[in-house]
Amino acid sequence: MIIFLSVRLFRWITGLLLVLLVSYAMMFYGGGDPIKQMFLDELGNTQYLDQKMIDSEREKYGLNDPFIVQFKNYLLNITKGDWGTSYRAQRPVLDMIKPRLWISIQLGFAATVFMALVGIPLGVIAALFHNKWIDLTIVGTIVTINAIPVFVTGPLLLLFFVLIVPIMNVPYGWNGLFDTQVILPIIVIAISTLPIILRQTRTSVLEIKNEDYIRTARAKGLSENKIILKHVLRPALTPVITSLGLVMITLINGALFVELIFNIPGFGKMTIDAIRDVDHPLIMSTVLVGTLVVMGSNLIVDAIYFLVDPRINN
Amino acid sequence: MKKTKSLTEIALARLAKNYLAQIGFFIVILFLAVAMIGPVIAPYDFLSQNIDRALEKPSLDHLLGTDPMGRDIFSRMIFGARTAAIVAFTTTILSLILGILIGTIAGFFGGKIDSILMWLTDVTMSVPGLLLAILINASIKPPISNFFDQLYQSTKNPFFLNTYLIDFVIVFGAIALISWPGYARIIRGQILSLRQQVFVEAAVSMGSGFGHLIRKHLVPNAIGPIVVTVTQGIGAAILLESSLSFLGVGVQPPNASWGSMLSDSLSLWRSFPHLMLVPAVTIGIIQIAFIFLGDGINDALNPKQTRR
Repeated sequence: MIIFLSVRLFRWITGLLLVLLVSYAMMFYGGGDPIKQMFLDELGNTQYLDQKMIDSEREKYGLNDPFIVQFKNYLLNITKGDWGTSYRAQRPVLDMIKPRLWISIQLGFAATVFMALVGIPLGVIAALFHNKWIDLTIVGTIVTINAIPVFVTGPLLLLFFVLIVPIMNVPYGWNGLFDTQVILPIIVIAISTLPIILRQTRTSVLEIKNEDYIRTARAKGLSENKIILKHVLRPALTPVITSLGLVMITLINGALFVELIFNIPGFGKMTIDAIRDVDHPLIMSTVLVGTLVVMGSNLIVDAIYFLVDPRINN
Repeated sequence: MKKTKSLTEIALARLAKNYLAQIGFFIVILFLAVAMIGPVIAPYDFLSQNIDRALEKPSLDHLLGTDPMGRDIFSRMIFGARTAAIVAFTTTILSLILGILIGTIAGFFGGKIDSILMWLTDVTMSVPGLLLAILINASIKPPISNFFDQLYQSTKNPFFLNTYLIDFVIVFGAIALISWPGYARIIRGQILSLRQQVFVEAAVSMGSGFGHLIRKHLVPNAIGPIVVTVTQGIGAAILLESSLSFLGVGVQPPNASWGSMLSDSLSLWRSFPHLMLVPAVTIGIIQIAFIFLGDGINDALNPKQTRR
């Protein structure tokens, strides 16, 4: 097991390094000049720029070193907990990211809980009524919902709940997780991840439903509810866990749009702002966090799968 | 003697029974037609502004109303279809080429090359795609603008001053670079499974060459999954284009894109809901159409694969 996991770990770490290298190179060779951008913001135009001042600023941020040296320093600093200083806000990036990320984590977590509470039961129901109209309705709806992107469902639900059925004020901004404003954003994110979980649950319940031991359980006189809860659901949920990586990607994508639509100051909003401001350290950190989240959840999935399914041992 | 049906005939017969796929097909064809003959049917120029008539509700003059600059929304939607179609087809072709190249190399050579390429595929797939596309978009813009500037300086050809073109090239690059892994995996899988088939061994032992193997065995077997993936890929590329434009890093104004029209409406939708409704509903319908069509083609081409 340790060998298996360490091979996986090695794969993911090299992958992460590659992603960082490529994005650092993209920042280095493309990406515009951050120092010029900084002065442009302060002065309004580049006309009065003093080349000496630019050079000294470049020196201060270490932008005159060759690529490999810069990248090496960047990696070393990350391991020391120094993620660089934002060009725009002049603050340590890590301090900026933490509160923003916390908001997004709360949103994502609430959406995941909501999605699991709706998606898993629906998936089980669809599988139990395989090919009956309930199943076809659920699957049809999910296929359709799956096709519609977050940045369409968000506005459409907004229009519906504010203008057509006026039951809420315009959700705008962030007042903590326990405010009514977060309901709509959470639903929008949950809808985008719902199809993944629902399909996975349905497929695995369908597979397990016809196993011999389920027939045995039925033969010994267990009630149908008990069979489903005790004997079908537990093994069926193991494959569901594997879609965690996919769910995470969808959550991050969802955060980008939903936070823009509802003006929530979370991680997604910060990413978009950072790219608009050409704020290299901040962009690098958002890529780092995004990739870490996805790769980390893939690694966790591998580990869980390993613990739950002893067949992988061979 | 009764003629046996070819695979294509069976597939078409299956498609003829699938109404959802036909609806999808119809909408996709309509979308492509609109994109192609757009300037002919558009009642107004998509750039012409008329401030006196800004923010009008839908009327006979302006079928879908006008935006804050007094531009006709119906015409802008038509040109947005054009943008979406151009981006979708070009990026699908680009990423297909990239995917076929990488998948073929990985499948044929195997061993170390295969595992390195598949690791690369895994890594690309595990980065949040949109984040990567935004990053590529933000970083390749200055060099490409510079390059076009130099081309203009040396040739004095006003063609290279065209920012429309630069936008498109950047969006193409960003989308193509994140969507090749799907194609690469399919091609590699097909090659690996073919290499173990007995009929391929027989063909090799009878002395058929590399070209013959590709033409007679690889292409006919791989074409089905590729057609399915391409259909879904075009839908996904349209989605990516509008996502990028929505986030403000895609096709830049004043060019029309459904995504940027949607994000422009975010501040105005309470008073002028049609600004938001039109692009949102259009994107939704097009996406559903591509999904239905892709699923239908998938069912038609893979009769063995029963759907659950």
